[in-house]
Amino acid sequence: MKKLIVKLLGNEKRQSMTIPIFAILVSLVAGAVVLGLLGKNPLSAYMNLLQGSGLWPKASYAGGKNMLTDFTSFLNALTPMLFASLAVAVALKGGLFNIGISGQMLCAGFVTTVVIGYSGLSSGIAKPLVLLLGIVTGALVGGLVGWLKFKFNINEVVSTIMINYIAQYVISFCINTFYVNPVSRQSNPVSKAARLTLMETQVGDLKMDIPLGIILAVIAAFIIRFLFNKTKLGYEIKTVGSSITAARYAGISVGRNMVLTMVISGALAGLAGVTYYLGYFGSIQPKVLPSTGFDAIAVSLLGNSNPIGIIFSSFLITIISKGSTYMSSAAGVEAEIASVITGLILLFSACSAYIAYKVKRAKSSLEEEKILQEKEKTNDRADSGKGAE
Amino acid sequence: MDNIIIDGLSFALPLFIMAIGGIYSEKSGITNLALEGLQGFGAFTGALVAVLTASWFSGGSQIPFYLAILFAVLGGALYSLLHALLCIKFKANQVISGVVINILATALTAFLTKQINSAVFGSPSDKFVLGVSNRITVPGLSQIPVLGAVFTNIYPFEIIIVVVAFIAWYVLYKTRFGLHLRACGDNPHAVDAAGIDVSRVRFIAVMVSGALSGIAGISFAYSISANFSGNIYVGYGYLSIAALIFGNWTILPTLGACLLFGFAKSGGYEIVKMLKMPSSYSDLVMILPYVLTLLLLIFFSKHNKSPRALGEIYDKGKR
Amino acid sequence: MSEYIVEMKHITKRFPGIVANDDVTLQIKKGEIFALLGENGAGKSTLMSMLFGMYEPDEGEIYIRGKKERISSPSYASKLNIGMVHQHFKLVSNYTIAENIIMGMEPKKKALGLFPYVDLKSANKEIAQLSKKYGLEVDPEKVIEDINVSTQQRVEILKMLYREAEILIFDEPTAVLTPQEIEFLLDIIKGLRKNGKTIILITHKLEEIKQVADRCAILNRGRLIDVLDVASTSTKQMANLMVGREVSFETEKSAPQFKEKILEVENLSVRNSDNFEVVKNVSFSIRGGEIFAIAGVSGNGQVEIADAIAGLLKASSGSIKLNGKEITHYSIRKRTMEGISYIPEDRQSYGLVMDFTLEDNLALKNYYKEPFCHRGILRQAEFTRYAEKLIADYDVRSGQGNKTMVRSMSGGNQQKAIIAREIELSSPLMIFVQPTRGLDIGAIENIHRQIIGERDKGRAILLISLELDEIMNCADTIGVIYNGELKKIAPASELTTNEVGEFMMGVKG
Repeated sequence: MKKLIVKLLGNEKRQSMTIPIFAILVSLVAGAVVLGLLGKNPLSAYMNLLQGSGLWPKASYAGGKNMLTDFTSFLNALTPMLFASLAVAVALKGGLFNIGISGQMLCAGFVTTVVIGYSGLSSGIAKPLVLLLGIVTGALVGGLVGWLKFKFNINEVVSTIMINYIAQYVISFCINTFYVNPVSRQSNPVSKAARLTLMETQVGDLKMDIPLGIILAVIAAFIIRFLFNKTKLGYEIKTVGSSITAARYAGISVGRNMVLTMVISGALAGLAGVTYYLGYFGSIQPKVLPSTGFDAIAVSLLGNSNPIGIIFSSFLITIISKGSTYMSSAAGVEAEIASVITGLILLFSACSAYIAYKVKRAKSSLEEEKILQEKEKTNDRADSGKGAE
Repeated sequence: MDNIIIDGLSFALPLFIMAIGGIYSEKSGITNLALEGLQGFGAFTGALVAVLTASWFSGGSQIPFYLAILFAVLGGALYSLLHALLCIKFKANQVISGVVINILATALTAFLTKQINSAVFGSPSDKFVLGVSNRITVPGLSQIPVLGAVFTNIYPFEIIIVVVAFIAWYVLYKTRFGLHLRACGDNPHAVDAAGIDVSRVRFIAVMVSGALSGIAGISFAYSISANFSGNIYVGYGYLSIAALIFGNWTILPTLGACLLFGFAKSGGYEIVKMLKMPSSYSDLVMILPYVLTLLLLIFFSKHNKSPRALGEIYDKGKR
Repeated sequence: MSEYIVEMKHITKRFPGIVANDDVTLQIKKGEIFALLGENGAGKSTLMSMLFGMYEPDEGEIYIRGKKERISSPSYASKLNIGMVHQHFKLVSNYTIAENIIMGMEPKKKALGLFPYVDLKSANKEIAQLSKKYGLEVDPEKVIEDINVSTQQRVEILKMLYREAEILIFDEPTAVLTPQEIEFLLDIIKGLRKNGKTIILITHKLEEIKQVADRCAILNRGRLIDVLDVASTSTKQMANLMVGREVSFETEKSAPQFKEKILEVENLSVRNSDNFEVVKNVSFSIRGGEIFAIAGVSGNGQVEIADAIAGLLKASSGSIKLNGKEITHYSIRKRTMEGISYIPEDRQSYGLVMDFTLEDNLALKNYYKEPFCHRGILRQAEFTRYAEKLIADYDVRSGQGNKTMVRSMSGGNQQKAIIAREIELSSPLMIFVQPTRGLDIGAIENIHRQIIGERDKGRAILLISLELDEIMNCADTIGVIYNGELKKIAPASELTTNEVGEFMMGVKG
């Protein structure tokens, strides 16, 4: 057992891949046990997740739909998740824990909805403006958090949570007072021109939702990777994130970098917000924070805050969250099981350092045993040699 | 005016008991952002027991209510074990662990509530309906002008909280265990060298925070929301953390901060009512405690001193 | 019954990667002062930690009073009447002296016959008595934060005596004390022996052993080299056994050649984060080719002077000039560029980013300059080339070369990396704070040679150290700090160790 685990997880260079995969597998097994206890077939339930995400064919499709359309609407849900997870990762690299992604998304979504979504601007102007305004709004809110932390030493976890609730209630008040749609009880839908996803677009005989943002999100992941691997700014942010004291000693401006980190993180959260509210949804539900902001924490931890890792982990978590609706109707399991599995993945990811440490210990004890055994062997040989003399 | 005091107290006291839990955990050196999840999970187990046992008792019986409190304490303590394990045994980052515990609590209680509702009661509802617990008015004392409001329309949980808070204060500052606990948050090596098991003290401290948060959760469920549902997670756990930061990790000043939150909230509602504003304006009032938290943090965060060993992973070998 | 109170037989203890103790056997008599001598990393502390129950040996047996014991925890050790004063005191900073001493063995009382509470009143009384009995005067109601280091050490000793310890282990007890305080401590230790206590003294200072110890065991790289009778052995012999080769006590140093003034500090005052004035109106200057050393007991403001010059702390008043240029209000980065190298006291939280690679750490002070950085884009190849050069020139050893995570390197090599980086900046002013703390003799000699080498290149050196030997060895000029004030500045040749000690304690000046 020990040997097997060391063999699978022992390679330190690959641990950033193997340990998250280990965490996922353990969580999926735990989820399977729960599903089994509920009398459902876990395999077919997990299959439903894939089918709901357009990664496996369903038994039948409605008119104008097939696996591809399911997949593009999966991508539609993936886009904000990817942006949001990158936002978490940037903050984590800078030593900050941004759990206010949801609030920043909501702010960006609301401001752009009101300013551009209802403006009647033409598509070519509205779409870029939506992105721009989303970035600016998110960056401002994020920057505020960084500034509060630097200037007043306010723990960013507490301040982001407070801003989450303030944003939630204030925006809910504004929507209910000024922009409510009496039928849907949500905000009035944004104009088609401002929408970042081309909804129900006829392609051949298919009707699909084409998320324009997904390309941007993937590009953003590579830009963030470049930022941290190749640039001075990235080096400084990482230094501040690893050790504030050492960063100060090296002459790096801690405050400036903290604010910048949160500005970048907030800007990405803003992009998540506009791709969510003006892409995926088209309107805002009052008094609800998007769960994407919290799932993004799981995605980021799972992806080791590595932008490329995050592309994969956001893919996986979105399969679970997006596919759960279909699983719920097909297998009759409560859709909430999906967030439980996501929670479990988070739980195991939080222990990843411990797993790595244990594996290291097991590895060195195995090596010691080996050395001892070899020593004994040579001793035996020496003894038998003596006997022969 | 009376309403401000009555409603303010019924909001402030649960916050206070949860903050005391936070003080226990943080004074022992374990950062506890998990209070939010702990109170939610405690409220869940308490509410579950209340709805399951409701049919055993007559309609007006208060026994399910007291059972609910008992099981909220147990449920909170049990769930907090997860935070303790992660932070102490698995040496996870305590901030991350706290947030993970909260996210998992939301998911787990939502899933279990639906699952149990459809399995036991046949309808996949996402809440356990509890109603509001009955209230007590102390004759005589309640007649005192202004201050009488303190003794008017008291929820039974308020009395329980005051008693428990006093015991918690005594244990923390007067007993051997309290001495050891507070030392763990300053210099765990000293505690270890004195022959006391640091991990054990911290495990107990975190579980106390779970138990006390459970009381808070079930109190909210029996007063503000009158049910258990996802609405239990509205950040009161974080508010109580803010309160203990203003209170500089000591119990009495923390009470002051909680009362401030309570009266700000109830005062805001009264103003909306008095000015006869439409109900959507209550959303604006809801932000008062959060805004107040941010403002107070601006003034207090720099000067307050957290326990010295807070958040550090204790490693025996490290000297 | 055996004549030995403590017997450790064939003790072996391994940690991942090293054997800390290898088949060590020791026998200690009741009522003697037994010294354990060895360099840093020789395994002295590990051996005694096992006697005190902090670790358990992998192999071997421990006998106390002739009876075999498995000492699984410090509390079991204290049941066996074993006590230990650790090198880093284990005190709760916001508790009173009494609370610290009684912790774990609190006197209890019951309020209303029901509610147990800690009886601090009787504890205070008992401790006052105890401290009088052994001549260790303390005020039981004072808080640890407010008392000085030597008083804290007395608290640690009282902690053992309160537990009725018979076997007292002292781990490097004199490292943080002034010469006068050391004398006082050694007297206390002798007094304890008179009271029938058995004392084990861990140290690397030979004079102390010569002064108080009866017998002495010498450890080297985890192995027991010899057990000697102190009275019949010379310090030179002990030293050679300890290091395993001939050692020279004095670092060779030519006469200084002073040049122009490089650093001028005038009326400098510094406040710490509690707004408490820790440096008071300090003035001094350092010339090129001069080693200016500040001696003082820990916590008297010397580190704050260094921080203020480097820019990590703000000067509340006064001025700092470098090469005649006023730099008092410069940022940290700007000062580095003007020419300050800084080897900080705390190498792990200031000097290095522990989770970065060695090459990223070696460029920590110039990553933003050409050729490492061009228009905001880093050139990793330059990092690597630079790191490889420094690793070779300064003999920095690590598992995976320039890609090693600094966290996994040994303390000595971490320090080498910092010194390499800072010296390579070729700054006119170099500040060394506690540059040799925790290093073994070979490394210490090496660093002293480097410091003197930089002096001979005409640089101004500010050396801050708690080790008086180091200061006497290296300094050209000595400034003694006490309570934030420079009490005395004089050429090193005009001061004796004892005089410096007196200024350090505020007795003189």
